[in-house]
Amino acid sequence: MKPDVPVVMRGLFGTMLMEIAPNLTAEYSAGSIGIMSMMIFMTAEEYDRAAEIRAAENAEMRALFAGAAGLVADAALKAKLSEAAKGRDASLRVSALDKDNSALAGLLIELQAHVEESTAPWSAGLEARIWDYLVAAADRRKLNFPALG
Amino acid sequence: MEDLAPRIAAYLAHRMPAASHVEVSGVSRIPGGASRETYRLTATWKEGGKEMRRPLILRRDPVASLIETERDVEFNAYRAFHPTGLPVPEPLFLETDLKWLDRPFFVMEQIENCQAGSPFNAAPYGPFAERIGAQFWTHLGRIAAADPVKTGFAANMKAIAPEECWKHELDKWEKVIDEDELVPQPVARAAIRWLRRNPPPPPPRVTAVHGDYRTGNFLFDGEGTIRAILDWEMCHLGDPLEDVAWAADPLWAFQQTERPGGMIARAEAFRLWEEASGMKIDPIRLRWWEIFNSLKGLAIWISSGNEYQSGASSDPILAFPSWYCTDVHNRVLAHRLAALSKEARA
Repeated sequence: MKPDVPVVMRGLFGTMLMEIAPNLTAEYSAGSIGIMSMMIFMTAEEYDRAAEIRAAENAEMRALFAGAAGLVADAALKAKLSEAAKGRDASLRVSALDKDNSALAGLLIELQAHVEESTAPWSAGLEARIWDYLVAAADRRKLNFPALG
Repeated sequence: MEDLAPRIAAYLAHRMPAASHVEVSGVSRIPGGASRETYRLTATWKEGGKEMRRPLILRRDPVASLIETERDVEFNAYRAFHPTGLPVPEPLFLETDLKWLDRPFFVMEQIENCQAGSPFNAAPYGPFAERIGAQFWTHLGRIAAADPVKTGFAANMKAIAPEECWKHELDKWEKVIDEDELVPQPVARAAIRWLRRNPPPPPPRVTAVHGDYRTGNFLFDGEGTIRAILDWEMCHLGDPLEDVAWAADPLWAFQQTERPGGMIARAEAFRLWEEASGMKIDPIRLRWWEIFNSLKGLAIWISSGNEYQSGASSDPILAFPSWYCTDVHNRVLAHRLAALSKEARA
C-alpha cells in the first residue's frame, strides 16, 4: 500500500486536528475528534511495529520458560513451562500473535507468583529475570504522544 | 441528536414551582467527566415579577462509562463541601426518576468563564503553574482536614476503620480487573501481590477522599484562581494519602515526578498539603498508595477498554485511555516493582 500506512495515518491526524476539529461547533464532537486523531497518530507507529513486538515478547517468554522449567520443583508448573517453551508462532498475523501472547502472559503470571514465594537459591535470579523481561516489554510498547503546539 | 432542552425545561418547571415561563437554551454536551454525560445549558424563567437567568450543568448517567459510580454519592459530595467554602459548584437537583431524561441525573451551578488544564500537557497551567499549584495542594489538604461526618460527606456511606482502608480499596479495584481484563495483566497482578504482602500503616484518621483529584479535574479562571473542584464520582471514605498519591501520579502532565501534574515542586506541594490538612505524610504509607494508584489507574483503563471492546459504547474517550494510560501505568509500575523486588531480594 502506497502511500505508506504510517504516512497516511499521520496525515489524517494532522487534518483531523488542525482542519476538522476547529470547524466543529459541537464541543463534544470537537473533543472526540481530538481523541480520535491522537489514536490515529499512535496507530501509525503501532501498525509498523506490532508484529515485531509481539513476536519478540513471545520468543523471550518461551526462552524464560525454558530456563525456568529446569529450576522449578513443582511438577505441574514444570510441565506447563516445558510445553510452552516448545511452542512457536504459527502465524505473523497480529491477532494470532496476540492469542499466543495472552496464553504466555497467563503462564508468566503463574510462574512469577510461584517464584515470589520461593526461597530456593535460584529464585532471586529468576525473579530478576522475569522483571527484566517485564520492564523491557513495557518500554518496548511505549506509545509516543504527538508533540502539539 | 435528541433535543433535551424542552425535557430539561419541563423538569426545572417541576422543581421550581414558583417559576413560570421556564425555558432552556444552549444545551451542549461538553467533554470531561467521562463517567457521566455532561451538558452545559442556560435556564431562564420568570419569578416574582422578575426575569431570571442561570447557567447550569446537567450530569446524566451514561449508557456505558469509564467507571460505574452512583450519582447520589457525587451529588452529596458537592452538597457537603459547597457550604465549607471549598470551590465546588452549588448542587441543585438530584433526580432518579427515569421519566424526565430516561436516565438518572443531577443539576448544578455552572461556573462560567473558566477552563480546565489538560492532563496530557507538560505545562497545563502555563504562567499560572505556581499559583494554581499552591491552591491545588492546599484545597486537597482542606478536603482531608474536613470532618466527613460534620460536613455530611459521610451520609449514607458505610463507615470504615483506618486499618481497613487499604484492603477495601485494593479489593474493589482488583475485582474490576478480574471482571474486565481482556488479556492477562502480569504487571497489574504483580502489583496486587506486592500490595497485599506490604500493607501500609493505617491513617491517623479516616477522611473524605475525592478519588480523582488531579490535573484536569478542576476549573480555573483568567487570574489563575481555582473556581471549581469537579468530578467527585469516585469519592469515598478512606486514607487521605490516597488522594495525595493520585494527585502526584506520574500519568498527569507526562511523568514530571518532581513537579506533579505540571504545577509546583513535589516537596512544596506536600508541605502545603501537610499545613492545610494538619497531618504528616508518612513515606511508607505514601509509597503504598502511589503503587496502589497506578494499579487503580490500570483497573480504570482496563475497564474502559472492556466497555469499548464489548460494544457497550463507541465513545473514543473509553478507548484512548485503554491504549495510552494503560501503557504509561504499566511502564511506571514495571520499573517501580522491579526495583522493589531487587531491594527485597538483596
